[in-house]
Amino acid sequence: MAPRYRTALFLAPAAAWLLAMLVLPLVVVLVYSFGARGEAGGYTPAFSFENYLNLGSRWTAFRNTLTIAPLGTALCLLIAWPLAWFLAMRADPKWKTLLLVLVIVPFWTSILIRTYAWIYLLGGQGIPSFLNALGLGNPRLINTPFAVMVGIVYGYLPLMVFPIYVSLEKLDKRLLEAAADLGAPPWRRIWQIAVPISMPGVATGSMLVFILLMGEFLIPAMLGGGKVFFVGNALVDLFLQSRNWPFGAAVAVALVLVMLATVAAYMRLTRRLAGARDDVSLM
Amino acid sequence: MRLYALAIYLFLYIPVGIIALFSFNAGRHAAQFQGFSVQWYGKALANPFVMEALRTSLIVAFASAVLATVAGTMAALALQSVRGRLRALFDALIYIAVIVPGIVVGIATLIALVTVFGWLNPLLAALWPGDAPPQLALGYGSLIAAHGLFAMALVVILVRARIAGMDRSLIEASSDLGATPMGTFRQVTLPLIAPAVLAGFLLSFTFSFDDFIIAFFVAGGETTLPVYVFSSIRRGVTPEINAIGTMVLAVSLAMLVTAQFILQRGRGARG
Amino acid sequence: MKDRIDHISAKRFMEELQRYRKGSVTRRHFLGVTGLGAASAVLGAAMPGLRARPAFAQGIGDRVALATWPNYHDPASFEAFTAATGAAVDVSVFGSNEEMLAKLQAGGSGWDVFVPTNYTITTYVGEDLIEPLDLALLPNYDAAAFDPRFAEPGTVDGKLYAVPKNWGTTGFAVNTANLGDAAKPATWKEFFDITKGAFSGRTMVHDYQLTTIGNALKAFGYSFNSVDPAELAEAEKLLIEVKPHLFAISSDYQPSMRSGDAWLTMCWTGDGKQLNRDLPEIEYVLGREGGEIWSDFYAVPKGAPHREAGYALINFLLDPAVNAKEALFHGYPVADSRVDPLLPAEVLADPILYPAKDLLDALEFGAAVTLTDPNRAELMARFKSA
Repeated sequence: MAPRYRTALFLAPAAAWLLAMLVLPLVVVLVYSFGARGEAGGYTPAFSFENYLNLGSRWTAFRNTLTIAPLGTALCLLIAWPLAWFLAMRADPKWKTLLLVLVIVPFWTSILIRTYAWIYLLGGQGIPSFLNALGLGNPRLINTPFAVMVGIVYGYLPLMVFPIYVSLEKLDKRLLEAAADLGAPPWRRIWQIAVPISMPGVATGSMLVFILLMGEFLIPAMLGGGKVFFVGNALVDLFLQSRNWPFGAAVAVALVLVMLATVAAYMRLTRRLAGARDDVSLM
Repeated sequence: MRLYALAIYLFLYIPVGIIALFSFNAGRHAAQFQGFSVQWYGKALANPFVMEALRTSLIVAFASAVLATVAGTMAALALQSVRGRLRALFDALIYIAVIVPGIVVGIATLIALVTVFGWLNPLLAALWPGDAPPQLALGYGSLIAAHGLFAMALVVILVRARIAGMDRSLIEASSDLGATPMGTFRQVTLPLIAPAVLAGFLLSFTFSFDDFIIAFFVAGGETTLPVYVFSSIRRGVTPEINAIGTMVLAVSLAMLVTAQFILQRGRGARG
Repeated sequence: MKDRIDHISAKRFMEELQRYRKGSVTRRHFLGVTGLGAASAVLGAAMPGLRARPAFAQGIGDRVALATWPNYHDPASFEAFTAATGAAVDVSVFGSNEEMLAKLQAGGSGWDVFVPTNYTITTYVGEDLIEPLDLALLPNYDAAAFDPRFAEPGTVDGKLYAVPKNWGTTGFAVNTANLGDAAKPATWKEFFDITKGAFSGRTMVHDYQLTTIGNALKAFGYSFNSVDPAELAEAEKLLIEVKPHLFAISSDYQPSMRSGDAWLTMCWTGDGKQLNRDLPEIEYVLGREGGEIWSDFYAVPKGAPHREAGYALINFLLDPAVNAKEALFHGYPVADSRVDPLLPAEVLADPILYPAKDLLDALEFGAAVTLTDPNRAELMARFKSA
C-alpha cells in the first residue's frame, strides 16, 4: 500500500474520533451558547449575545474558581515539594519504592470516596467535636471554603508529588555535597540547586493540578454544602437543574477560553522561570 | 524531615482508615460505631446494582482503553509522516482534548448526542422496515466514546514522546539490512514503543474506571461505579458505601503492589 | 373494629412494628397482636372492593428503576416486592422536581417509575415525557377512594397520567433544645430572622427553587407561586442576605439535623415526623403566613425500559396494606380512604400529618408556571452562585 494511503488509514480512526467526540460537541456548545432557553428549559434555536452579556451573574463562581484553584495549587505545591524531596533524597532506598506507591495509591482510589471521608471528619461529629472536647470551642468546619481547600489538597497532593519526585531524582547528590563543602548553608543549597532542578516537575505538576481544579465540581459539591460554588457547580446547575442550556453553553465556552488563556500565560511564565534559572551558575 | 513525611502519610491515610473502619460498623449509620461486623461487605457483594455498576465500569474501561490505545498508537505513528497545516491542526486538537475540563466534555457530549439522536431517531423510525426501529440513546456507546477521547489523546502524546526519543538509526539499520517496512515495524519499532503503549493503556483504563464527571452526564440509563457511589451518598448513607470504597482501595493497592513486584522481578532478571 | 386497634397502645404498636421490621416476629404475629390483621380481614369480607388484589403479574423482569425523594419509602416494602416478584428495586433520590425534569428532558434516564409533584404533571404531558396510565395494569387503583383535592392533578385533558402517592406540607423543623431563651419561630419571617441571629450558621434551605423562593416570598406575605418580578426581587434580596448565615443549601437535611450540625431547616411533613419521632426536641412548624401544600404521584416516563415492572411496583405500593405500612414509616399523610382504617388513631390525629384547619387553609398548591418560569429558575441559580 502506498505510504500516503497507509498514513491516511492510520490517522483515520483518531481523526474520526476527534471530529465526532471533540469538534462536534464543542461546535454544538458554541451554537447553543447563542440560542435561547426553551419554554420548559432546554434549547430553542436563536441568535443572540444575551447569554454572554449575562455571564456577570456567575461572577462569584468564576471568582471562587480563579482564586481557590491557584491557591489550592500553591498549597499542594508547598506541601508536596518537601515530601518529594524527602523521597528523592532522604528516603532509605529499600523503602523508597514502597513509599512512592503509598503516595500514589490514594490517587487511584475514587476521589468520591476519599472526599466522602472528609464529610465525616469535618462535620459536627468529627474534628470539631474533638476540638470541643479539648476546650477549643466548636468551630464550623464543614461547608466552608476551608473545607473545600482541605478536600482539594487531599485530593490532588499525590498528583503533585509524583512529577516533582521524578525531577528531583535526577539531582546528583554530589552537587549538594560540593556546595556544603564550599560553605553554603542548607537553605541556600536547596534554593539554588534543588529547586531549579525540580522546576520541570513543578511546572508539570502545577499545570496538571490547576487544569483539573478549574473544572472541579465534586469537591465543592460534597464539602461545600451548596454554599461554595465553582464554575463546575454552576454548569451542573444550569444543565441539571435550572435547565438553561444556552446560558450553560455560554458559561462552558467562557470556562474553556479562560482556561486556555491561563494555561498559555502559565506556560510562558514557567518557561521564563526555568530559562532564568538555567542562567544562574551552580556555584 | 522524617516527621514531616510521616505527618503527610498520616494525613493521606487517616481518612482512608476511617472509611475502612466504618465499613465494619455493625450499626446502620456510617457515623456512629456500634460494634464490629462484616455484614456490609456481604450486602455490597450481594447487591445486584453494585455488581452491575462494577461490571459496567470494567467493560467501559476496558473497551475504551483498547480502542483508544489502538487508535492513538496508529495516529502517533502516522503523524511522523504528516507535516505542515494538517500536523498543526492535529496537534492542536490533541492539545484541546487534554486541556478541556471533564465537565465541559461531559456536558458538550450530552447535548451534542441528545441533539443528534433527536434528529436520527425519527429518521430511523421512518426508514426502518420493521416494527421496532433501533432507538439511539445514551449508554455504553456514549460512555466508551467519551472516555476514549481523552484516553486516545493521552496515548498519542505518550507514544509520540517515546517515538521522538527513539534512536532512528535502529530503523535505518533495519531497512539497510533488508527488512521489509512491515518487518521493521514489527521487530524494531513496535518493541521500542511498547512501554509507552502499555503505559497509555493502563492510564486510559484507570482514567475511565475512576471517572465520575463525564459518566455523570453521558451514562444515560447505565450506571458506573463512581456514579453509583455518588447517588448512594444522596440516597442515604449506610456503611455499604464504606465497604465498597474499602474493597476498591484494597484491589487498587493489590494491583499496584503486584505490578511493582513484577517490574522489580523483570528488572532483576535482566540484571 | 376501631376498638381492636385502640386496644393496643401507640407505644406498643411502634415496638411491634420495629420488631416486625427487624424480623424478630412473623407477619402473622404482628397483624394479630396489633389487630390490623383481623381488621383488614373483616373489612375485606364486608367490602369486597377493599380486599387486596393480586398485586403483580409474574415474569416482569429482574429489575425496576424508581426515581423518588429522600426518606420516602420503607426499605422493607421494596424487599417484599423483590421477594414476591424477583425484581430488584433500583432507587435514585432527587431533591427537586427540576432535577427530575432535567434528567427526563436529557433523555435516556432509564427510569421506570418516578414521583412527580402535582404542579409538574401538566408540564410533563406538554413535553411529552410521560405516558397515560394503563389502568388494566393497576388493579389496586380505585379512583373513588382518593380525595379529589389530591388526586385531581393526575388527570390532564381527561386522561389519567399519575396516581396519588401521598400528600403533605412544607414547613420547617426546629431543634428546640438549641433555642435557649429565644421564642420558637412560628412564621417564615421569624425563620429568616433567627437565621440571621441566634441560629447563624445552623440553618438549611432546600436546594429546590419552589420551596426556597416560595417561603422567602411568604416571609413578605406574597403568594408562594408569585412570578412577579418586583416580589421576586425582594425575595432574592432576602435570600442573598441570609446566605452567609446558612449551614447548607440541600434537600437532604435529615442527616445534618440528626447529627446536630443543623438546628433549623425547611422541611417536608414526613421528614418532620421522622425527626420528631426519633428526636422529640425537633418540632415541625408550619409558617403562619402560609407555604406549600402538595400532593405527590407515581408516573411512568415514556420509553421506560421495564414498563411492566414499573406498573407492578406502582400497583404493589397502592395496595392499601402496603400503603399503610409505608405511611407508618415515612410519616406522610395518604389521601387513600382505604388506608385510613388500617392506621392507628393516633396517626390520624397527629397534628404534624394533619395540621389544624387554619394553618392548612393558608397553604397553597404549587402552580405549573413556577416550574417553567425562567426568572425563578435563574433566581435560584444566582442565589446558589452568589
